[in-house]
Amino acid sequence: MKKLLVFLVSVLTMALLAAGCGGDADKKDAAAGEQQVLNLFSWADNFDPEVIAEFEKQYNCKVNYDVFANNEELLAKIQAGGAQYDLIQPSDYMVATMLKLDLLEKMNMDNIPNAKNLVSTLQAPVYDPTGDHSLVYTWGITGIAYNKNYVKDVPDSWEDLWNPEYAGRLILLNDSRETIGMALKKNGFSNNSTDPAEVEKAFQDLKALAPNVLAFDTDTIKQKFIAEEAWIGTMWTGDASYTLKDNPNIGFVVPKEGATIWADTFAIPKGAKHKELAEKFINFIYDPQISAKNYEYIGYNDPNEKAQEFHSDEFKNDPMLKIGMENIDKGEWLIDIGEALPMYDRYWTELKTAK
Amino acid sequence: MQKTWRSHLLLAYSLVILAFLYLPLLILALYSFNESRINAVWTGFTLDWYKTLFQNRRVLEALMNSLFIAIISTVVSTVLGTIAAIALNRYQYKCKPVINGLLYLPILIPEIVMGLSLLVLFAQTQVPLGKTTLILAHITFCLSFVVITVNARLEGMRHELEQAAMDLYATPLQTFRYVTLPLAMPGIVAGALIAFTLSIDDFIISFFVAGPNSTTLPLYIYAMVKRGISPEINALSTLLMCATISLVVIAQILQPQHSSKNND
Amino acid sequence: MKNGKLMVAPAMLWLSIFFVIPLLIVVAVSFAGRTPYGQIIFEFTTDNYLRFLEPLYLQIFADTLIVAVITTVATIIMGYPLAYFIARLPKKWQQPGLILVMIPFWINFLIRSYAWVIILRTQGVVNTLLMKLGLIDQPLQMLYNDAAVMLGMIYALLPFMVLPIYVSIEQLDLRLLEAASDLGASPLTAFRKITLPLTMPGIAAGTILVFISSLGMFVVPDVMGGAKSALIGNLIQNQFLAARDWPFGSALSIVLAVMSLVLIILYYRALQSQEGGKADAKDVA
Repeated sequence: MKKLLVFLVSVLTMALLAAGCGGDADKKDAAAGEQQVLNLFSWADNFDPEVIAEFEKQYNCKVNYDVFANNEELLAKIQAGGAQYDLIQPSDYMVATMLKLDLLEKMNMDNIPNAKNLVSTLQAPVYDPTGDHSLVYTWGITGIAYNKNYVKDVPDSWEDLWNPEYAGRLILLNDSRETIGMALKKNGFSNNSTDPAEVEKAFQDLKALAPNVLAFDTDTIKQKFIAEEAWIGTMWTGDASYTLKDNPNIGFVVPKEGATIWADTFAIPKGAKHKELAEKFINFIYDPQISAKNYEYIGYNDPNEKAQEFHSDEFKNDPMLKIGMENIDKGEWLIDIGEALPMYDRYWTELKTAK
Repeated sequence: MQKTWRSHLLLAYSLVILAFLYLPLLILALYSFNESRINAVWTGFTLDWYKTLFQNRRVLEALMNSLFIAIISTVVSTVLGTIAAIALNRYQYKCKPVINGLLYLPILIPEIVMGLSLLVLFAQTQVPLGKTTLILAHITFCLSFVVITVNARLEGMRHELEQAAMDLYATPLQTFRYVTLPLAMPGIVAGALIAFTLSIDDFIISFFVAGPNSTTLPLYIYAMVKRGISPEINALSTLLMCATISLVVIAQILQPQHSSKNND
Repeated sequence: MKNGKLMVAPAMLWLSIFFVIPLLIVVAVSFAGRTPYGQIIFEFTTDNYLRFLEPLYLQIFADTLIVAVITTVATIIMGYPLAYFIARLPKKWQQPGLILVMIPFWINFLIRSYAWVIILRTQGVVNTLLMKLGLIDQPLQMLYNDAAVMLGMIYALLPFMVLPIYVSIEQLDLRLLEAASDLGASPLTAFRKITLPLTMPGIAAGTILVFISSLGMFVVPDVMGGAKSALIGNLIQNQFLAARDWPFGSALSIVLAVMSLVLIILYYRALQSQEGGKADAKDVA
C-alpha cells in the first residue's frame, strides 16, 4: 500500500505545483490592475493563436478562450445562465433562436467599422434581419463529396445519393436539420419547411435510404472519406477542402436543387461584462491583413472582401473554397422552425430506430 | 500438475484481456508519429507533434486543470465515501432505505441531467463557474462510486478482528486506525482509482459547470472534434501513458523488499 | 460510540446539497410544459410521462436494456478471471497490476474509441492483416453495427467490473479452499460452492456499476455504431440539446432512474434469496 501512497503523493505534489503556478499567473493578472479580460466561448481551433496573441498585445488584455462542441450545448449553457462570456460564436439558426429567446446583446457598430468589409450577401442574412446582433465569421455550403475512384458519374443532384450502387458506402450528416433539410431540397421544398406533408415525404425518402447508410457522422466524416471507408455523402465546403488535401481523389459538388448555406458568427450574449472589448476584437479580426492571416490558418472561406488581395494564391485557388464561393447563391439559410422542431426530432428518432 | 495447467490458462486469458485493453493505446501511440494532421491514414513518420505539443499552451493548461481537479475530487470523495461506507456497514439505521437510495441515485441519473441541474443550481445561487464548481460537481458524482466499491470490501470482511481489538482494550480510534482501515484498504484504493478515472475523463457534467479559464482536457478534446483531433493529443496521451507506467515501475523498485503480510 | 452513527452525515449532507436539490428541480421540470423555443412553463402536466409510453420510445428502452444486459454479462466473463488473476498475484504485484488495468482509462475515451475505428474499419489494421494472410478476399464490415456498439461498451466499462471483483476476491480466506480440497471437493465444486458465493458482493457491485453506466452511454453508439441506432442515452441527450425539450428529457431521465432502482432492488432480492437469506447481500430498500 505504501508504494501506492508514494505514487499518489508524487502525482499530487506535481499537480499542486502546477496549480500553484497557475494561481500565480492569476495573481499577476490581478496585479496588472487595468488589464482587461475577454472571455471568448467558441469552437476549438477557430482562430490563429498568433492573431489572438497580437490582439492581447495591442489592447493590453487577456483572452480566455474556452470551447464548445456544438450549438445546442452552447444554447443550453447560455440559457441556464451563470456563464460569464463576452463573445460567443453560434451558427446561423442558433442566432435566430437566441434572438427569439432574447439572449443576445445589440452590437455597437461604431466600434466595428471593419464590418463593412464583409461580402454583401453575408450582411444582414435572414436569421438576423437587422444584422446588428451577429456578424458572419466563417461560412460554407453543404454539398455532395464523393471519391472519384468509386463514383464514376459526377453527381449533380441529391437524388444521386439514393443510387443503390453506393449502398453501405454512404454518409449522411448526423444532424436532423441538415439531413432532413437535404431530403426536403431533393424534393424541391424549402429546407425550413414546416408543412407536415412535405416533412413526411422527406422522412419517407430518408427511411428508404437508411439501409444504404454506412454511418451518420458530422465530426469524423473527413477521416471516413480520407480512409476511403465512405464513397459518397453530404459534407460542408470547409471539410471538403480539408479532406482534399489528404486524399486527392475527393470531388465536391453543390447539387442543382440548391443546398443549405451555414455560417458561424460573432455574437455578444446578454449581460456580457466586456462588451466593448468584444466589439474591438471583432473589428480586429475583420482588419483585412489580420483577416487574411487568420483565415489561411483556419482554412475556411474568408467572408472579408477587402482581405482577398492579401491572400496567398494557394488559398485563392483552393478548389473547394472556390466551389463554395461560386455557389453562394444556391444556398438557403436554416432558420429557426420553432413549433415544428418536435416534429423534426420525432422523425429523426424514428429514422434512427428503423431497422 | 493439474494446478499449473489451470494457472497457465488463467495467465493466458488475463494476458488476452490486457491485450484487448492496450491494443487501442498501441494504435493511438503509433499515430502520434504520423505526419498527417488528422488520424485517418498513415502517411509517414514524424516527431513534429511532440515538438508542437510543448508549444501548445492551451493543451498543457487543460491537462493541468484536469489533474488538479481530478486529484482534489478523488481525495475528498474517497474520504467522505469511505467514512460513510464504514458507518453504513457497522451501524443499523432506521432510515437505511433512504440513505441507500440517496447513495445509488446519483449513479442512476444520466450525466447530462446532473450537469444541467447543477448548472441551474450554481446559476441560481450565483456561484461563479470555474474550477471550484468543477471540483464540487466531480466530488458529487464520484462519491457514490466510492461508497459502493468500499462497501463491496466491507461486506465480505469479518468483524472478529475488530471485536478482538476492542476486547483487548483498544480505543475505538485505535481499532479504526490499526484494524478496520488496513482491512478496508484495498477497497479504499479501488474506490479512489474509480473516482480518479471518472473525474479525469469526464466530459458532459464538466461542460456544463465549467466557466471561463477552467477548460479541462476532455472539454478541449471534445471541442476539437469538429475540426479533427490533432495528433498532438495522441502525443500527449502517449507521454502520459509512459509517465504513469514508469511511475508505477519506479514505485515498485523503491518499495522495501520485505513484502507486506497478507491481510488475513 | 453513539456519535459513530453520524459518520454517514458528511456524505449525506453533501449529496443533499449538490444532488437532491438539483434533482428536485429536475422533477419539477419533468411535470412542466415548454414553449416552441424551449423555455419552460411551470404548469402541471403529466404529458411528458405519457409520451414515454409511445411504442417508439418503449422500443428504444427495450433495445437499451438488451445492450446493457449483454454488456454486463460480457464484462463479468472477461473481468472475473482477470480480477482473480490479479488477486492471486504476490501482494507486491497486486497494486501495479490493478493500476495497469486502469491506465488505459485515464486516456481520453474519445480518442481511444477513434483508435478502435482505425483498428476495425474496412482499410483498418485487422482487415489488412486478414487479407495479407489470405484468410479473406473482401474486407469485413466490422464497424457501424450493433456488435461494434457492444464492443465499445464492454471496452469502456470493463474496469468498473474488475475493481470491485478484485476487492472481494482479495479478501477470500484461502484456508477455506484448502479445507474444501482436503475434503475431496473438485476445484470446480470448490469454486462454485465457496469462491463464487463469497465474492458475490464484488460481482453485485460491479454489475450495478456496469449495468447502470451502460444505460446512459451515448458516445459509443455515435462513434462505433455510426449513430445508426438510438439508445436511451442518445434520446435523452437529444431532448436536452437538439429538440430543446427539457421537460421530456427530465421525465425520461426520471423514468430511467426509477426503473434502474427497481431493477437493483430486484437484483439484490434475487441474490439474497439465492443465498438462503444470508445477511451478506445488502438490502437496498
